[in-house]
Formats: sequence, C-alpha cells, structure tokens
Amino acid sequence: MSVSAGDNIKLDWERQEDPQRLAAFEARIDAGELVEADDWMPQNYRVGMLRMAEHHANSEIVGALPEGEWITRAPSLKRKLALIAKVQDEVGHGQMLYRVSQDLGKPRDAMLRDLCTGRTKYHNVFNYPAPTWADVAMIQWLVDGAAIMNQKSLADGSYGPYVRTMRRINMEEAFHFKSGEDMVLTLMSGTPRQRRDTQAAFDRWWMPCLMFFGPPDKDSTKTSPFMTWRIKTLTNDTLRQRFVDRFAPAAIDLGLEIKTKQRDASGAIVSDDLVPDELIVHDEASGHYGFTQPDWDEFNRVIRGNGPLNRERVGLRRFSYEQGAWVRRAVLGQTCGLPLAN
Amino acid sequence: MGLSSKRTGIPTYEHPDRLSDNPEGDLRAYEVFVQTERGKPHTHCGSVDAADDAMALQFAREHYGRDQACVQVWVCPRDAMIRTDYDKDLVFRLTDQSYRFAKGYNVGAKWREFRAQRDYEDYRKEDIKEHF
Ligand SMILES: [Fe+2]
Ligand SMILES: [Fe+2]
Repeated sequence: MSVSAGDNIKLDWERQEDPQRLAAFEARIDAGELVEADDWMPQNYRVGMLRMAEHHANSEIVGALPEGEWITRAPSLKRKLALIAKVQDEVGHGQMLYRVSQDLGKPRDAMLRDLCTGRTKYHNVFNYPAPTWADVAMIQWLVDGAAIMNQKSLADGSYGPYVRTMRRINMEEAFHFKSGEDMVLTLMSGTPRQRRDTQAAFDRWWMPCLMFFGPPDKDSTKTSPFMTWRIKTLTNDTLRQRFVDRFAPAAIDLGLEIKTKQRDASGAIVSDDLVPDELIVHDEASGHYGFTQPDWDEFNRVIRGNGPLNRERVGLRRFSYEQGAWVRRAVLGQTCGLPLAN
Repeated sequence: MGLSSKRTGIPTYEHPDRLSDNPEGDLRAYEVFVQTERGKPHTHCGSVDAADDAMALQFAREHYGRDQACVQVWVCPRDAMIRTDYDKDLVFRLTDQSYRFAKGYNVGAKWREFRAQRDYEDYRKEDIKEHF
C-alpha cells in the first residue's frame, strides 16, 4: 500500500501569505525577474508551478510511447535514426523536468509512482493511437508543433529553472517539428495511398491537437493568479488560435482537408463521422482563421481515463516501472529480488 | 484500434490505483555544466539525479551532452557546492562602481579636450611669435 508523497502538496487559496514578502515577490515578477528554487515564493506559486512541471514531465515520458513503437518499423535508416533521436529527446525532456519538479518539493519517486497509478495526468493527446507511419509524421508535425507553441509561451514564464529548461527543450523540439514537416511533405508528394493515409492520420490528430491547449477560457482566466505570477503567459484560447493560424493554411497548402464532427442546426454533435469544417476561413478583418471547436465531451471522457488508450499507456509505464524496480534498488544499495511474474 | 493497442504483454492490474511495493527513495542531485566549444567557458545547464558520480556523469552526457554541441561535461554534487545567499549576501554592490570597469573611464572625451588644448597652445605660440 502506498500513499503518494505528493498528497499534501495542494493548492490552498485560503492561505495567508506575509503581505510584505508577497508584494516584493509580485514586484519582482512584474519587473520580469526570474524566481529561483531557493527564493521565497507563495505556497500556491510553488504548488501551481510543480503541478505544471510534473504534468509536463509526465507528458514527455508518455509522449514517447506511441512513437517508440514505430522505431522497429521505420521505412528507412535515416528515418529510423531520426525517430530514435526524437524519442530519446522526449525521454530526456521528461528527466530534466522531473528534476525541476523535485526542487519544488515532490520526490521523484513519488512522481513516477503517481503517474503509474493514475494520480497524476499527462497530455490527453497521447491517449490516441498511432496505427500508421503517417500518424508518426502527423505527431511530429502537429503535436510537436502544438507543443512548441505552448512551450515558447512557457519560456516567457517566471520560474527560472523551468524557463531555462524550456529554452533548451525548444531547440530540440524545432528538430522534431522540422522532421515531421519533412515527412508530411514526403508523404503528400507520394502515391495516392500515401496521401490517403496522411489525410486519415490528419483527421485523427487535428481535433486532439485543438484540445491539447486545454478547455476554453473562462472569464476569470486572464486574471487568475497563475497568469499574474506568469506561471502561464498566454491563455488556452490564445494558444489554440495561434495553432490554427499557423497550421490551417499549411494543411490547405498541402492539400489536406480539415474536418470536424457532424453537427445539427443547433450546433450539437450528432455523430462521430467527420465532415469538412466550414468555419476554416481566413478573416481579413481580424487576420485569424475561423475553426470549429473540438468535442469537449470527448475531452472530458478522455481526461477521466476513458480515452482509446489510457489503460495501455499507463499500464505500459507501470509495467516497466515494476520490472525495473530491482535495478533501481540495486543502484540504491537496497535489498531486491527479481520482479514477480504477473 | 490500430497497431499500438495490439502491443502484447501489458498486464492488466487488479488495483490500478495502488502499487504493491514501497517507495525507494530519491537519488542525489548533481549540477551539470557543459562547454560547447574548446576555449569557451563551461556554463550551467541543469541538473541530474544519480546514485554516484559515475552515474551522474553518464546521465549528464545523455541528457545534456548529446542533443546540442558539447565538447565537455562537468558534474558536481549539489550539496558540495558552496554558494552565497541572494538575500543575505550582497555579492555585487549596487553603489556606483564604475571606477572598476573600463567603461567607467571616458578617455575619448579627454583626448578630444587634450588635443584641442594642445592645438590652442600651438596656435598661441605661433601667434605670439608672429606678432612679437
Ligand atoms: Fe519534448
Ligand atoms: Fe518533441
């Protein structure tokens, strides 16, 4: 039986901070200064920052799973080398981010265990399957593209160790994205079947990518403490719009059709069948592309653990955590035996 | 559901929210420094967790030395590093210390003044010579 060491790390908006220290802290953030691990910080800042960094770390680790499966089936040596390097990068990002999170107060082991037991989450987008090579291309282009958009905004945040990690990570994400763009271009200039596969993969990833930025903003979003403390620097809707403005024209250029779920006149979703998204139009006045919102009910279903592959992703993580226990114990000088057969 | 769900050998768990064994405890934190080119300074780039020095160096090479240009990696146990306190120790005084920097000396203006003065003296000497 295990209790998470993270259970006492909770947000508490009733908590009273020393007003003088809080004012000095907020003035530093307003001045664009970075907060360091040893600095005084409000407890809710620490918890909010930890949650975000831990969720990010989890996402990097789980995010490596759908692509990792394709390493043995990559279509050429060059693609295989690039995919191995990419997967290694993602796992490395996870390790760096766990380290940043540890310094905010949660032991690393507790984070790994909470991920295995579903106490903490990772990005929803990794609960979707990657059944073809075109999905690998689409993940690197669209999902890494979305990740860069998000992480660029996080690199403007206020917590020094996280900001520096973002800057480092973003250089590597640029390679993932370019290699994805290269693969999508190759596929879309290929045979009719390759183009068909690519469209099908695009259909699988477009809506999960719109959901990637999180639920629509509430009125309170812009004034939430996480925005004023610069834990987040842009709202979900702003980032989502940036994503659409960047990728809708590129998809159209490539000859891909952007689709959405079929709706009735009132806007309610009537079927999971996809139809062209009529709102994908460039608006001259605002300079933005329109788009139809993804299915937020599906988002809520997946986040509660009922997505297509939630169980497989967490199960595989747990399997390798348990199978590796004897190695970790040996390294720590603890007694250990071989894992029990399941 | 596609190939990825057909991955075999993933057990299903009776208690998915519980692990049977106890936490293992954390490793030791090491700070990592990399040098991107010979002759350039080593810069701090992050940290790793490891059980001992050799493991720390290995992890640091993997996480910080492979993905970007790097010719040397240093690791140092965090608790072996002695440092100042942001609040208690004033490392760099905020009073005017321009006297200790090259840019604190505006010799350009002084040269201009000096040359102007010298030219004037020369002119005056010539002027005096001509008239007296
Ligand atoms: Fe990443
Ligand atoms: Fe990536």
